[in-house]
Amino acid sequence: MTGRSTAIICAIVPVLALTLGVVFANHLEPRILGLPFVLAWIVIWVLLTPAFMWVAYRSQRA
Amino acid sequence: MNAQIALGIVALVVVGTILLGLSGVRGVKMDPQEFIVGGRRVGALLLWLLLAGEIYTTFTFLGAAGWAYGKGAPAYYILCYGTIAYVISFFLAPPIHRIARERGYLTGPDFFADRYGSRLLGALVALLGFSMLVPYVTLQLTGLQILLQIAGYGTIDALRAVAIGFFVVALFTFAAGLRGAAFASVAKDLLVLLGVIFAGILLPIHFFGSPAGALDAVLRDHPSWLTIAGPNSPNGITWVVTTTILTGCGFFMWPQSMAAIYSARNEDTLRRNAVFLPFYQVMLLLVFFAGFTALEVMPGLKGPAADQSFMLVVQKYYPAWVLGFLAAAGTLAALIPAAGQLLAAASIVGKNVFADYGIARDPASQTRTTRILVLVVAVLAFGFWAYNRQTLVSLLLIGYNGIAQLVPGVVLGVATRRPPALAVGAGILAGLATLILFVVPKTAEIIEINTRITAHGINTGLVALAINIVVTAVLWAVIPKRASAAVEAAQG
Repeated sequence: MTGRSTAIICAIVPVLALTLGVVFANHLEPRILGLPFVLAWIVIWVLLTPAFMWVAYRSQRA
Repeated sequence: MNAQIALGIVALVVVGTILLGLSGVRGVKMDPQEFIVGGRRVGALLLWLLLAGEIYTTFTFLGAAGWAYGKGAPAYYILCYGTIAYVISFFLAPPIHRIARERGYLTGPDFFADRYGSRLLGALVALLGFSMLVPYVTLQLTGLQILLQIAGYGTIDALRAVAIGFFVVALFTFAAGLRGAAFASVAKDLLVLLGVIFAGILLPIHFFGSPAGALDAVLRDHPSWLTIAGPNSPNGITWVVTTTILTGCGFFMWPQSMAAIYSARNEDTLRRNAVFLPFYQVMLLLVFFAGFTALEVMPGLKGPAADQSFMLVVQKYYPAWVLGFLAAAGTLAALIPAAGQLLAAASIVGKNVFADYGIARDPASQTRTTRILVLVVAVLAFGFWAYNRQTLVSLLLIGYNGIAQLVPGVVLGVATRRPPALAVGAGILAGLATLILFVVPKTAEIIEINTRITAHGINTGLVALAINIVVTAVLWAVIPKRASAAVEAAQG
């Protein structure tokens, strides 16, 4: 797999999780650390995005 | 007495920050290049602060809490769209920067004028950006008004508060320029971070034992507040997803964001920024906690009043000096972005209308034009505030509907094969016409369509963007290739 396509896949995953994913995650239960599930889902994906983008960054430089 | 303490702290912090901003520009010659893009020598850390400074504004500090208070779960979109915008910028910002450096762009509209070989398109984009920055500056002014009124413990009325805000913003903008604003961002970010930690963690602990306790209390009184409503409600799941997409795509289209991209030292700086900026978003979670806490401690604020949410709680239950520092943080969060936005609005019209059409020729008269235009935008924003009070989030969404119409032109503009200027310009105009038709519906059919779209919660800006894309694509297909081929051959 080329660096470019790795980068694009790494980018698409968090974007889908924070758009379409929210539709399916839109529940109150199970609550995580007191957060409603949908809010926890969003926060987790916001925190995971830099990890995905770091992989994208490394793959573009390699 | 309380008012003197709180307002005194606000004044001290603001003056200190202005001095800090001025120390950042001391010894730097203020030609247009320096004033607008910081001489294109802004490194990773300063750029990060500049982008963060533009992004974390009154909107974050008061607006997001206001929506958590007034609407609940629809506010979650604010966490999503910034993150998506950074992912997009990872791919889009580096080529924009490379082209801008090679071709010597100063403003966002320069990109359109040069890449599509049309001065007229540049002027159109400049006027669009200028108009859409007016509600954005209004947002900052409204924020200043709210903060000064609350810090004044009822001794300052709304009109006087907004007038003071107006003068401080204009003064700061004239004194500091872009580089000064970036330096002042350091102080702002630190204070805002402390303010948000206080409001989002200590407030809920004080009243409910923990942030989770505040959420429990909200759920007891409003069981459906923390989940997004179904697809057929005005701010339901369809609205959240379509608004996330529209604002995520529109995020870097603002002229001040384009200028920030130009001002980066190199492309790698921009990529690394895109990787790490999402961490900054997490701050918003704390702002939501503050809004939810206020909803339980001080219920009953309606409409735009919800934007005062947690500040009113602090005013009632905490000493004046705490309120003073919080209001000072909020004031900086309004002031510094407002300066960046005023400069952006003024510089695009100054450059792409007045200078490009030969009305202001030499650098001295260009700088003078820019300064007059700064005042024009500020006055327009003041007028918009007086004419129509809205929540902070609604003000930003008005601006986003318009600015997102630049998405096709920017995305296609980095490619080697580009549509003709006419296709891009007609697409933008079609998108704007759609937006205007929705706001001022003239016929029963349009009212009917508009009602159906909003009833399902589809973001109207996204509908306008779809029409924009279709018009651009159709015209690209039918217009003969000669004109755009010449521009492509000249630039690659």
